[in-house]
Amino acid sequence: MRIVIAEDSAVVRAGLAEILADSGHEVVAAVGNAGDLLAAVAEHRPDAAVVDVRMPPGYTDEGVRAAIAIRRDHPKTGVLVFSQYIETHYAADLLGAASGGSAAGVGYLLKDRVSDVDEFLEALTRVAAGGTALDPEVVTQLLAASRRHTDRLGSLTAREREVLALMAEGRTNSAIAATLVVSERAVEKHVANIFSKLTLAPSDADNRRVLAVLRYLES
Amino acid sequence: MRASDDRVPSQRSVLERILIRSWEYRHLRFWAGYRIVAGILVAFCGVATLWVGAYRWAALFLVPAALLLAFGYWEMTIAYRLLYAPLPQRVRELEQSRSRVVDDSAAGLRRIERDLHDGAQAQLVAVAMKLGLATKKLGGMVDGTGQTELDRVLELVAAAHRGTKEAITELRDLARGIHPPALDHGLGAALATLAARSDLPVELVIDLPERPSPAIETIAYFCAAELLANAAKHSGAQHATLEAAHVPGLLRVQVTDDGTGGARVEADGGLAGLAERVRTVDGRLQLSSPPGGPTMVTVELPSHA
Repeated sequence: MRIVIAEDSAVVRAGLAEILADSGHEVVAAVGNAGDLLAAVAEHRPDAAVVDVRMPPGYTDEGVRAAIAIRRDHPKTGVLVFSQYIETHYAADLLGAASGGSAAGVGYLLKDRVSDVDEFLEALTRVAAGGTALDPEVVTQLLAASRRHTDRLGSLTAREREVLALMAEGRTNSAIAATLVVSERAVEKHVANIFSKLTLAPSDADNRRVLAVLRYLES
Repeated sequence: MRASDDRVPSQRSVLERILIRSWEYRHLRFWAGYRIVAGILVAFCGVATLWVGAYRWAALFLVPAALLLAFGYWEMTIAYRLLYAPLPQRVRELEQSRSRVVDDSAAGLRRIERDLHDGAQAQLVAVAMKLGLATKKLGGMVDGTGQTELDRVLELVAAAHRGTKEAITELRDLARGIHPPALDHGLGAALATLAARSDLPVELVIDLPERPSPAIETIAYFCAAELLANAAKHSGAQHATLEAAHVPGLLRVQVTDDGTGGARVEADGGLAGLAERVRTVDGRLQLSSPPGGPTMVTVELPSHA
């Protein structure tokens, strides 16, 4: 894949470029602020951009805003936003702004996740292919915050809750099956149960079901 | 109740309301009231005298009338000053210094968060990335799916090791910036450490028979640190003197350097920040820095804040 990196800390930028290059990806540009990021994406049209949230000059949410702009102007570029803290509302902003509201091609991860190289690369590949990657921390926070649904969420079995969390992270049925070491058939059954218990309309596309689950947790 | 009714009590600040209820203020008000009554009576006598003088012996009555009127006016002015001038002004000063303290501590916390985020935290993220990559490579070597590239793994681990040491240094510096451990052994010891670490040769003159309160010691320490850093960085000095003396009620810290002088307290500059911090405890900072030098900065702080 051809990738653009935007990260203001030089050590993190170098570490990230090293990991990506080592895995056979091509880092076409590595920049330190949102303006340069937008220029680099417009110039190189990469498959994916890895974007830090806090960048100069304001050090607030420059990365999130740049990511939304990239998704709007370059729908073929997937954007993986990463940061040292998880702000749940950034996740909502990103997913809501994704093209057609389908949560396609965006990801939001804690920076620490990059050190689990294989998982990070898998998430990046998923995002570049138009999928979704949400940090488990976002999902945990959403689950903890959705007090209104405690009764309904309480009706899920422990296994179903695990499947719900993995589904919200943007994983496919086969990936969920591999993580939980069960058959894909079993995962499909759990997913169907979850959707019927939460009275959500079933959906086949992974992105749509992520969005459905997140909207449910947020509402 | 309408919204406008709610706002009436808040026209006075909380601090002002507390002060108005204090015994000292009641005492003040009593004397101010007395002076108002006395002033009105005297002024009335003055007007009466003037009135009598308008009929006969005008010249004879005019002088006492003028004197009585002037005295009445004087009494009422004092009463007005007692009541309105000093206390609200002091309240305003306190409110300003309180908001400076709040701003100062909020800015301090923000600075610490930024330093952590950009420093040790970023450094550790990079270390985790290197170790993650090394783990992946070693895993590939062990189960035979990857290439054997021990030298690359060694390079990654060595880089992670370096990064960890840098993060430790950064955390140590940051912790020292929050609370210098040397202060636990007293301001004298802390200033001696500071002088020894300075880039300039520093002559130390310490006369601290008693310890000021911890808050004052901390402010004095950070003032000395900043002033010595300024002397080393900006003045072109070869030598500096750091003096600290504590007499009952007052701590004085003075930094003198033999540099080129011409230092000024500029808005948003380091010296202005120090002056603000000093003012939060009712202290003051004085600067003497004629062109050509020497530069002398004196910080005076109350012993207890």
